[in-house]
Amino acid sequence: MNMEPHISAEEFDIRQFMRLDLFPHFLCPGCGHGMALRALMWALWEQNISMDKLAVVCGIGCSGRLGAYIDSNTFHTTHGRPLAYATGLALARPDLHVVVITGDGDCLAIGGNHLIHACRRNVNMTCLMLNNEVYGMTGGQVSPTTSPTRYTTTTPYGNAEPVFDACKLAEAAGAGFVGREVTMQVPTLKDLIKQAFDYDGFSFVEIISDCTEIFGRKNQLGESAEMIMSQKASTRPDSYGTRVDEPFRPNSLPTGVLVKTDRLEYRAHQQSLNPKGQK
Amino acid sequence: MSASKTHPVTNVLVVGVGGQGVIMVSKVLALLCQRQGHEVKQSEVHGMAKRGGAVFSHIRFGKKVHSPTIPTGEADILIALEWAESMRWINQLNPETGTFISDTHKIVPPFACRNRSRNQKAVYSKETPKDVLGKVAQGYALDAVGVAAELGNERAANTILLGVMSTVLDFSVDDWLDVIAKFVPPKSIEINKKAFLYGREWVKEATIPEMNGEVEIEKAAELTNELEIIPAWCKGCDICVRMCPEHCLELDAEQKVVNARPDNCTGCRICEWLCPDFAIKLHKVPVNEKQPDAAMVEA
Amino acid sequence: MLAKVERKNIQGNEACALGAIAAGCRFFAGYPITPSSEIAHTMSRELPGVGGTFIQMEDEIASMGAVIGASLGGVKAMTATSGPGFSLKQENLGYAAMVEAPCVIANVMRGGPSTGMPTRPGQGDIMQSRWGTHGDHPIIVLAPESVGEVYSETIRAFNLSEALRVPVVVLIDETIGHLLETVDLTPPDPASIIERKWATCDPKDYKPYEITKDRVPAMARPGDGYRAHTTGLTHDETGFPTQDTEKGKNAIGRLLDKLEYHKGKIESYEAIDCDDAETLIVTIGISARAAKRAIKSLRADGIKAGLFRPRTLWPFPEEAMRKAAGKAKTIIVPEMNAGQLIFEVERVIAGKCKTVGVNRYAGDIITPSEIEAAARKVTS
Repeated sequence: MNMEPHISAEEFDIRQFMRLDLFPHFLCPGCGHGMALRALMWALWEQNISMDKLAVVCGIGCSGRLGAYIDSNTFHTTHGRPLAYATGLALARPDLHVVVITGDGDCLAIGGNHLIHACRRNVNMTCLMLNNEVYGMTGGQVSPTTSPTRYTTTTPYGNAEPVFDACKLAEAAGAGFVGREVTMQVPTLKDLIKQAFDYDGFSFVEIISDCTEIFGRKNQLGESAEMIMSQKASTRPDSYGTRVDEPFRPNSLPTGVLVKTDRLEYRAHQQSLNPKGQK
Repeated sequence: MSASKTHPVTNVLVVGVGGQGVIMVSKVLALLCQRQGHEVKQSEVHGMAKRGGAVFSHIRFGKKVHSPTIPTGEADILIALEWAESMRWINQLNPETGTFISDTHKIVPPFACRNRSRNQKAVYSKETPKDVLGKVAQGYALDAVGVAAELGNERAANTILLGVMSTVLDFSVDDWLDVIAKFVPPKSIEINKKAFLYGREWVKEATIPEMNGEVEIEKAAELTNELEIIPAWCKGCDICVRMCPEHCLELDAEQKVVNARPDNCTGCRICEWLCPDFAIKLHKVPVNEKQPDAAMVEA
Repeated sequence: MLAKVERKNIQGNEACALGAIAAGCRFFAGYPITPSSEIAHTMSRELPGVGGTFIQMEDEIASMGAVIGASLGGVKAMTATSGPGFSLKQENLGYAAMVEAPCVIANVMRGGPSTGMPTRPGQGDIMQSRWGTHGDHPIIVLAPESVGEVYSETIRAFNLSEALRVPVVVLIDETIGHLLETVDLTPPDPASIIERKWATCDPKDYKPYEITKDRVPAMARPGDGYRAHTTGLTHDETGFPTQDTEKGKNAIGRLLDKLEYHKGKIESYEAIDCDDAETLIVTIGISARAAKRAIKSLRADGIKAGLFRPRTLWPFPEEAMRKAAGKAKTIIVPEMNAGQLIFEVERVIAGKCKTVGVNRYAGDIITPSEIEAAARKVTS
């Protein structure tokens, strides 16, 4: 396998795929969600997916607002439920490419049930979970992925809860494709998202994003540049090998394709059981 | 030519960028030599795939080989899978008898191949195949990746170069193909055979001066980089300023990014990629078309 | 040739499912809940045969979400539930109302509150079906009284939902859901089945929530090139969120005005012996069947009793009820709850006559003799 990220930026212009009337977008300065959105659009462009045949389903929160900027069929649904909406949409319209954009609170807290069952069910769609460790839009409250001891507006004395590892959760729930990447690695993230698209079934990608304005500052994690660099430094790409490099990067988050297994896609499976619904 | 007159040794240096297949090429050669009854020693630097770094492999074969590495200036064949890498290692080649074989395909790593010091102009290798002419005894440069893509699979580029190299070494075509088939996926055996034979055919006509037609590199040298910045979209997050490897960018008094040192821009696109607000777009424009004020475009 | 008449002895719940399929429903997402489960059973068996999709989701919320997702994809979709599940669906029901996604929810009512009496009847969701989700929102609620009407009202629910882009609730009493009756299942005339108004204009001119004369904007089907944005945030005609109070007022105003404008199409009721009725009974569903028996014996004894039964419960057919109550001195409102419908009746009648409730809320149905007794009491 070629490990080099495929650089094709020569002609890719994200502005061609955005609803430019809405710009500048609402995200805070230095928000990693912008880079994640670029990686998504770049991957779609490289995969030749028509914006007409794409459906982007978002939840609520900072991540949920990204859909509005994509010039495609976009759905801004209710808090935690985008996977449920997307399941209905993907089953009713298998001709559409369904992408779900969700956040750590949206996907792991209020929508946790939908996530595990989407992983288990394996309906063909791609779920991108933007993990910035915080509920940004509501004012910086603790989320299921906030690191222990970190300060948020609802943990003024530090967070006492452990972190939810979304990728391990997805894997345990049976997801056939699980991946993780940091926003700073835009071309690598783009390649990961492309692989997720290629997977026939439910694919889950956790994107480590940064919230400088209301999380990073409060925890003295530096400005966006420091945050994204330290996120990158705290990861261990899959190509490094898991065991060999562990001594050099202890306690670091593995990135890249973490799980890829052959599973029959839900719709195909259902049709194979009784293709015409004969009694 | 070799370290010892009594035991003539042939030295082949394979170079490229991590992930290209340097090790595959050297393994093919090593196995082939072994099958022909030679003693083979191979020495390599690898594992640079993720880092986009330089990868090389020394292969020495003959009746008896003592040292695993090739002394500087004694390589009989330099086979490069990437153009800038061929330039990096060209001094390893024996200037009187060495054969230079390179792909003109370029891989421009944003960080790895640049001068890191402040205000240093750093660009991709400007040498063209023509420039190599006086430095080597025999040379071949071709766009193997482009040809391989036409044949149906970019990954067969290395096999084209092996085909070129096979004209210099004294092994039979069947032996080559037999070994290559051992190292490529079963599905691609056919395409690799085609690629190998293409390389052999191509050599019959090729000489370096004709390779001036490798317009890709000539064209690349004429392009310049222009940043289109939409100030209205820039939120002054400072990411691009901090991450630009050449320190080109600055925030102005209104906390909007400006390209303060446009001449240093190498077109690596880091700023474009990392801008969360999509406020920066890099344009590669021909030098003569560059507008003096085009770097700042009002939204 | 005469149309083929198909008669079958089936349950209310099965009739609901068959009605939905006859109306063109091709997507069902549900979650098991007594006493509505037979609707899901029938759907899971029948939908694949007509090229539809059945899915049992992980919870009530998800099944409502999946239904709206399918509907936004352009497919007629429904779900079925009962009280506790209906409570959970309210979140996404509000979304469907806001983004004007057509969908049908069958709510087979059981005793409440909370888990209540899962296998016993109740009519406790009369107000929840109208006001269950937060904020002002349009919604249509139909209340059939027989298995046959469950079939026809489910078809009507889809037609209204598709025509007006509004969620429609079919309120079925547990008693009717599990009642076996002989039903005429003759498929409806295809011309009577209403399809959604799809956008056909140039995508450049398309406004997803255009304020048109009929108040129903044309919907963009994903994949047709319109690339619309759908959001539960208050949005203007373009479909994008707005903080502008003037634009918000127009958008929500149109949404609420939509049902008022189409009132004639939506309203449906049954009025029996109302012209001279001094004692008017207003009720729905299974309670109305008891009332029918009661007015027969009351009339036999010379008591001028009548029945007004809104088939379309919400929006409430107020003018029709006011007309039916023209001669009424007393209005009796039997309902299997502690008193919900009576509030609406009192609002409509505005003190012009006395109102009396006949209530049961412990899992029993109201009998004809109870209604009769109440009527005799007010007339004596």
